[in-house]
Amino acid sequence: MRSLRHSCTVAALATGLSFLAAQAFAQPAGVLRVAVGADPATFDPAFNDLPVGNAVDLAVLEGLFRLDPQNNVQKSLATDSSFSPDGKVFSVKIRAGKTFSNGDPLNAEAVAASFNRMLDEKTGSIYRGLYASLGTVKAVGEDTVEFHMAEPNGHVLMLLASTAASIVNVKALKEMGAEYGRKPVGSGPYMVERYVGGEGFRLVPNPKYAGDYPATLKAIEFTVVPEDGSRMALMETGAADIVERVPPESIAAINALKSAKVVTPPSMFSINMEMVLRGPLADPRVRQALNLAVDREGIAKGVLGGLGTPSVGMVGPGTQDELRKTFPPIPFDPAGAKKLLAEAGYKPGQLALSFTCPTGRYIKDVQVCQALAGSFEDVGIKATPLVVDRGTWTKVVGMEPAQRTDNMGMVGRATAGMDYTLYRLFYTGVGANRTGYSNPRVDALLKEGRATTDPAKQKAIYGEVQEIVWKDQPFLFLWYQTQAIGVANRVQGFAVQPNETLVFDKVTLN
Amino acid sequence: MFVLRRLGGALPTLFAVSLLVFLFVDLIPGDPAQILAGPTASNEEIESIRQFLGLNEPLLTRYGHFLRGIWDPAVATSFRTHRPVVVELAERLPNTLIVSIGGLVIGVVVGTLAGIVSAMRPGGFADAAITVLTLAGISMPIYWLGLLCIWLFAVHLGWLPAAGASTPAHFVLPILVIATRPAAMFSRLVAASLTETMGKDYLDTARAKGLSETRVVLAHALRNSLIAAVSVAGVQFGGMLGGSVVTETVFGIPGVGRLLVDAVSRADYPVIQYAILMFAVFFVVINLVTDLLTQWLDPRTREQERPA
Repeated sequence: MRSLRHSCTVAALATGLSFLAAQAFAQPAGVLRVAVGADPATFDPAFNDLPVGNAVDLAVLEGLFRLDPQNNVQKSLATDSSFSPDGKVFSVKIRAGKTFSNGDPLNAEAVAASFNRMLDEKTGSIYRGLYASLGTVKAVGEDTVEFHMAEPNGHVLMLLASTAASIVNVKALKEMGAEYGRKPVGSGPYMVERYVGGEGFRLVPNPKYAGDYPATLKAIEFTVVPEDGSRMALMETGAADIVERVPPESIAAINALKSAKVVTPPSMFSINMEMVLRGPLADPRVRQALNLAVDREGIAKGVLGGLGTPSVGMVGPGTQDELRKTFPPIPFDPAGAKKLLAEAGYKPGQLALSFTCPTGRYIKDVQVCQALAGSFEDVGIKATPLVVDRGTWTKVVGMEPAQRTDNMGMVGRATAGMDYTLYRLFYTGVGANRTGYSNPRVDALLKEGRATTDPAKQKAIYGEVQEIVWKDQPFLFLWYQTQAIGVANRVQGFAVQPNETLVFDKVTLN
Repeated sequence: MFVLRRLGGALPTLFAVSLLVFLFVDLIPGDPAQILAGPTASNEEIESIRQFLGLNEPLLTRYGHFLRGIWDPAVATSFRTHRPVVVELAERLPNTLIVSIGGLVIGVVVGTLAGIVSAMRPGGFADAAITVLTLAGISMPIYWLGLLCIWLFAVHLGWLPAAGASTPAHFVLPILVIATRPAAMFSRLVAASLTETMGKDYLDTARAKGLSETRVVLAHALRNSLIAAVSVAGVQFGGMLGGSVVTETVFGIPGVGRLLVDAVSRADYPVIQYAILMFAVFFVVINLVTDLLTQWLDPRTREQERPA
């Protein structure tokens, strides 16, 4: 009897305590169901190249820095960072006492090991080139990491804030091998509990997590459904709370549901026809004529179903907005285009151009190409759209300009970081400069911008580069894609980054 | 003895398939290293990934590597997941087999029944209805029918889940949709060959013995009609494995077909090569099983020990 009364008291006390605890920290509650279109082959940040993988890495792993939903850099594991006076050593202080979800300590040594693994040629990471400027990474004591830079880089924060730079547990990775790509051991608020290849995966709270974004959900369940119609059916039947990539034709149907709405956050995906700058396109008048010949507003509405915003600069929104410069939109002026073509010496029907487009890579890419061909025909250009499969397209737009037999290629660019985007596309002779663009002033500015760490100077430098590129028109500038995500009304606090990464930090369910 | 000889005869076929698969995959446009590296990668970065994947090795070395991967899974890993291809395939194969075999069994049963009904009362109402449904079943593309069924049963009626594979209920729609084609084929086939057999003398003999019409049809006529049906079933099953590429994408089922689609779009060469090789092995086995079944049903096709 006594023991019974005792246990009742204990139970009552425990209930009371847990009630108090619940008031202090909201317990994770509810299961969020997400339907995604692409099957993430791996969550290993050294190899992942899909937004779904970014979203999982953001929830399961932590980096030194992270990007907020507007792509601003915030501290994550880092508490403080500074450059040495000569700009060659970048040191980062990290939070003390962090552990991975398996209990291993997350100290400076673990951070250095994670970076050195990605930079090691034997790892074969697809991001090694992007991060090569970090040089070698060393741990100094328990809480300081030093990057001995291979070259000065004033954009190191942007690099470190990407999910590709998330800290992996190298010890666990060695034990698990390729399985680590499915159940990565990290220090983020969630961990992968279950992964069924091609079917889906489930995230649950990481009990060892300590930080600013504690898990708010009891589980996040992802289902992989590549077919658009079937994925939308999950939203319509209420079997999913969030569906990725709503096709333009389904937006009205989802919005008509009582239980869900389509949100359309901006995407940094900047879609352009990238020109091969030789032959007729070496003439700036022809490039300008092409830019004037396209009714961006009309195509964005009519073909993209509203999922596009006419470009006002080469780089899309969210590409380091503090350095981004925008310009008045390019007018739709077929008469002006015809005049420019005549000035350049082409009679109607004399100029023939071909352009390569992928199938199913960008929103309505095939239809867009046909619309563009129509626009060119209207100003007297013989246009040949070459619609090819994705493999061929990758090959064509990745060729050296001298080898290309077409005149333009449709490519979307979405890279966080002004330096990365502009340097790779417009610096003379750089491996990823596929237009053959070369401008000594731009080269000088890009070099200077990479070396400087002063934000005000960077702003002036990159402002000028963006202006020159916008005026030179090495691209037929088109639009920025708009994301379309179906979200059930019971989901609160959901956010999306401009690079299409879903952010679950503050999601709760009603 | 026959089985062993047939299997031995299949070896050259499989060798030729391995060679073709390897060479054709090599001809697919697009460079896996370039696709992995993304459109903003520089030439040096692509080159370093190509080196890492072993794509710079001479063709013959790579083919040898591919053959070695057949018995040594550690060397045959996916470009994307880095896991052995055999693990990837083993994980997905059960889903593909559940849908294909389930679809085939239901299709054969329904098709045979419909065929018998048609043959017993040619020109009747049931025959007309079955003919219309059969034509629809043969003409309707599976992906279209699949989407219509999702709309009706999942979205409109809410009876079944729309996509995924986490519960047995998820398999009902795909199996039923897949079953339409063999059902249609079989009802035509069985009906035609039954009608043809119905007039044969031996059936009149059976009727003269006083057997009921049902017994005559089921025990005597049907057995002969099934001979042709069995070989068609084999071909259908093979076609279903190939068709899994479409159905699994529509219904979001993680099977080998979808693995193959993903692998092609991402130029994951090892997965494409071994998946196709596996399908080729299946075809060989299916053909063998069909032949054995035919021999069992039709003694005339059995090999005879002829005196010299």
